[in-house]
Amino acid sequence: MTSQYAAELCTLLVDDNFGELFATIFATLIQYDRLTLPRLRAYSRLPDNQLHHGLAAMIQQHLVYHYTSYEEGLTYYEPNLQSAYSLVRSGKILELIEDRLGKYAATLMSTIMFLGHAQVSYLETLPELQPQQTVTTEEDEQLDEDHEPKPEVNGINGEGEDPLPQQPFLLHPTLKVLAAHGYIHRVREAHFQSYADNVLDCERQIKARPHVKQLKGKKLEEKVLELTAEMLRERLDGDLTRGLMFNGVPRGAKRRRGAGGTDGPNKKARVDYAVDDDEEEEEENEWSDDEMGGDTVPMDAGITVRVNYEKLDVALRNRRFLDLAEQDCSPATIEVYDNLLRRIEYQTKECRDSAEIPREGEEGEQYSAPVSLAVLAEDVDPLLDLTGSIGPMEVSQPVNKRGKRLLDDDTNGADHNESNGVSSGANRPYEVDQHLSLLAQPPLNLTSKRMVHGLISWTVEFRHLARKLRHLELERMIEARYGDVALRVVRVLHAKGKLDEKRLQEISLLPFKDLRQVLASMQSGGFVDLQEVPRDAQRQPSRTIYLWFYDPDRIRSSILEDTYKAMSRCLQRLRFERSRLKEFLEKTERSDVKGNEERYLSEAELTLLDQWRAKEALLLGEVARLDEMVAVMRDY
Amino acid sequence: MAGGSPNELASQIYDACVKDFPTDKLFYQQDLLGLGLVPKGDVSLLLRCTQLLVDQKLFRLLQGKNDRLAWKIISREDAEKLQNLSPDESLVYNVIHSTGRSGIWVRAIGNRTNLHKSILDRCLKSLEGKNYIKSVHNVKFPSRKMYMLAGLAPSEDVTGGAWFTDGVLDGNFINTVAGYIEYTVSRKSWYEASVDAGRSAKRMKTANGVAVKQEGGTIKEFVPFPAGYQGYPTVAVITAEVNGSGITPVRLGEESITQLLEMLCYDNKLVPLNNGEYYKSVRNPEAVKMRQSRKPVGDETETVDLLVQNGMTEAPCGSCPVFKLCAPGGAVSPESCEYFDPWLEKALGF
Repeated sequence: MTSQYAAELCTLLVDDNFGELFATIFATLIQYDRLTLPRLRAYSRLPDNQLHHGLAAMIQQHLVYHYTSYEEGLTYYEPNLQSAYSLVRSGKILELIEDRLGKYAATLMSTIMFLGHAQVSYLETLPELQPQQTVTTEEDEQLDEDHEPKPEVNGINGEGEDPLPQQPFLLHPTLKVLAAHGYIHRVREAHFQSYADNVLDCERQIKARPHVKQLKGKKLEEKVLELTAEMLRERLDGDLTRGLMFNGVPRGAKRRRGAGGTDGPNKKARVDYAVDDDEEEEEENEWSDDEMGGDTVPMDAGITVRVNYEKLDVALRNRRFLDLAEQDCSPATIEVYDNLLRRIEYQTKECRDSAEIPREGEEGEQYSAPVSLAVLAEDVDPLLDLTGSIGPMEVSQPVNKRGKRLLDDDTNGADHNESNGVSSGANRPYEVDQHLSLLAQPPLNLTSKRMVHGLISWTVEFRHLARKLRHLELERMIEARYGDVALRVVRVLHAKGKLDEKRLQEISLLPFKDLRQVLASMQSGGFVDLQEVPRDAQRQPSRTIYLWFYDPDRIRSSILEDTYKAMSRCLQRLRFERSRLKEFLEKTERSDVKGNEERYLSEAELTLLDQWRAKEALLLGEVARLDEMVAVMRDY
Repeated sequence: MAGGSPNELASQIYDACVKDFPTDKLFYQQDLLGLGLVPKGDVSLLLRCTQLLVDQKLFRLLQGKNDRLAWKIISREDAEKLQNLSPDESLVYNVIHSTGRSGIWVRAIGNRTNLHKSILDRCLKSLEGKNYIKSVHNVKFPSRKMYMLAGLAPSEDVTGGAWFTDGVLDGNFINTVAGYIEYTVSRKSWYEASVDAGRSAKRMKTANGVAVKQEGGTIKEFVPFPAGYQGYPTVAVITAEVNGSGITPVRLGEESITQLLEMLCYDNKLVPLNNGEYYKSVRNPEAVKMRQSRKPVGDETETVDLLVQNGMTEAPCGSCPVFKLCAPGGAVSPESCEYFDPWLEKALGF
């Protein structure tokens, strides 16, 4: 991802988040890549102690890799673009966490993010993670009391904390929940070195082993490759989910049941953490005793944790799939799908095996872990109305002259009556299965059915869907830029491969004039291209076949670059806007004005401030939207 | 009988052929001898008779299998027509006749007849004037002048199928039929459940875009059919519907409809199931109706029509014509960008 625009964007992000010093160091490192300290000092022209402080802090933030080589004893520094880019996704991640695990978890997550990585014992000492009041005891915790707004003490995260006494705070259970979901993982030493360094290091060590030394030629290569992969896995493994999963569900995962579930995912219930916790305890009671004990044991204080972006990408990707499903499925179906994706998420570590997105057509299908229907049927909220949202198998109602079906009240009534009550257990798996089959329908094929050990199981074809998402993004751009005619042409080309104009016209049923216009404008935009196939050696234009084609891979990579660029342009514009209002903004930032804006600012200034905030929100929101595209085209 | 002149014999043969055989039958020597009219199977006499008939344009001489001679009968009216033609004209006429419904290019006629261009032109002109032949438009070679017999309808290859009118793709016609098909298919691929008002209030919140408000407070909700539903329309059903609807002046064949259905699939309006056995619509009937009624208005500001937007299409950079040139500190730069301000103003409303 070391392209011009990605580098520009990452530098901007670092600058925005951590200030000028970091940005200077980061920019220098990006420009020269791997540098030793003296060289870095020379290029960056920074004073010694600033550079030292800066580097140390950046290593803490995982913005810089460092590596000390054995032979020379020199330490090299390298920029970590991936984690710099992750800065832009932090908001989305926090939103997701808050949505799933409650406010306190989000606060904790943002603290860990802010620190880069943190030791559990250090987190314990942080004031913003401490509970502020101890009002109730665990036994008679009252819901209504928890819902009451608490006075904001800390300013940053007032209402997030709900008191639970005699805990090693809420911290440890929450950390466990995050760990069980895989949203945080343990920091290993190898995480501070770049992937390439790690690989070389492993190889060197393996080659030094006596039994490997004896091997030669191809055998040696194979052995080294195999052992390196193994060693790398071992070194980079920061998985904390072990021992925290029960029956494939992480501890503390909220099972949607009762009132919260029926609302559907569009209106996600913002449940206070206390409510979650309540539910959690309820569930724990269902668990066996020895598992019960697990929760009271605090997290090992010596563990250092950081955010696991790969896993969060999986969660965010699942969310995208839900959005996709939402376009033409009923809420009940989406609810079922959500449950399936949730189950799969717990078993999926990263979005894909390979580092790069494989070329179109060269990627094999990769099925997710199968989830059995029975498990799923239990997961789905028992009060969810599953029958009302699918039509009957046969339409017996006559179609009258106007083509409108006459609605028979009786059948409908019966339908609803059944759906209102909780349906019997035997029917339930069948109904869930119906919804999943509906999702498996073309064109999206959101799910697929498989038999595992004779049990009906459901999986998701992630590669296929990721590809679909990519194509959709590209198609959206094409439609927005060149109109729906262009979209049709591109879809034809995509489905049929290379076509000459005549065939293209026959399939797309467009007049030549329109077709040529649209093709020409798309060609200049780089979305379609023309291949010349001469029929003889002279290559005369009249004796040449011209074939149009559409190469999603190439377009994807160029659009990805454009997206980076657009993101940095938005950030640069934001900076420019800020500089336009510099003096005014400095006034609002003054310690006496901040928080008391109404008192110190005039009417006009207040509107200006509001406008500025809206502007900032809009631009940052746009960056986040663009990030969604980057995620689709690079990460999923 | 033996004394019968070849003329009489010839007309006897002709009458027998017309009476006993279909008009497009290919007669070989045996067939004619088999009629039993030629005494003693006299081949040379038969040859003289047939030559006479050919001269009178009652028989057309053809080359059958294995280079054997063969004949076809021509009706008397046609023969009369042909008899009035000059030799050149009849040569041209025969060439055009031989290509049937696919028509023939003028230059190809020239090659086959070896006539001079001016003579050929004159012949074609007089034939066209007599309304024996007509010029046709071939979609594959729009620049070529083609001719075929006046009484024939050009084949699909020549016209390009049902979607061409005079060799040009008929956009309006296609759109009309496509719109009709989409609506028809859509009506059959969603189950209409009417929900009473009490339930509807709750439904409106959750059924994001699925519930459609109807006058009178009742809500029509469209729910999908279960997987494996067999009631989706097939090509045959759709073809019958289109032909029955009266929107097409000509009867459309199943191939034409399939072609259009495929186009609709590429337009993201229909989805083929079971390898194109059934078709299902993406949108429910109400949504289809709304889209179609909005189309002619051509409301530019309406962006709902597009696929759901993404970050790139929203940002000013996504539609910036000089995006490639943009660089901080350059002639086009984010600071001096003239698109950002209007964009911010439009989005924020100040």
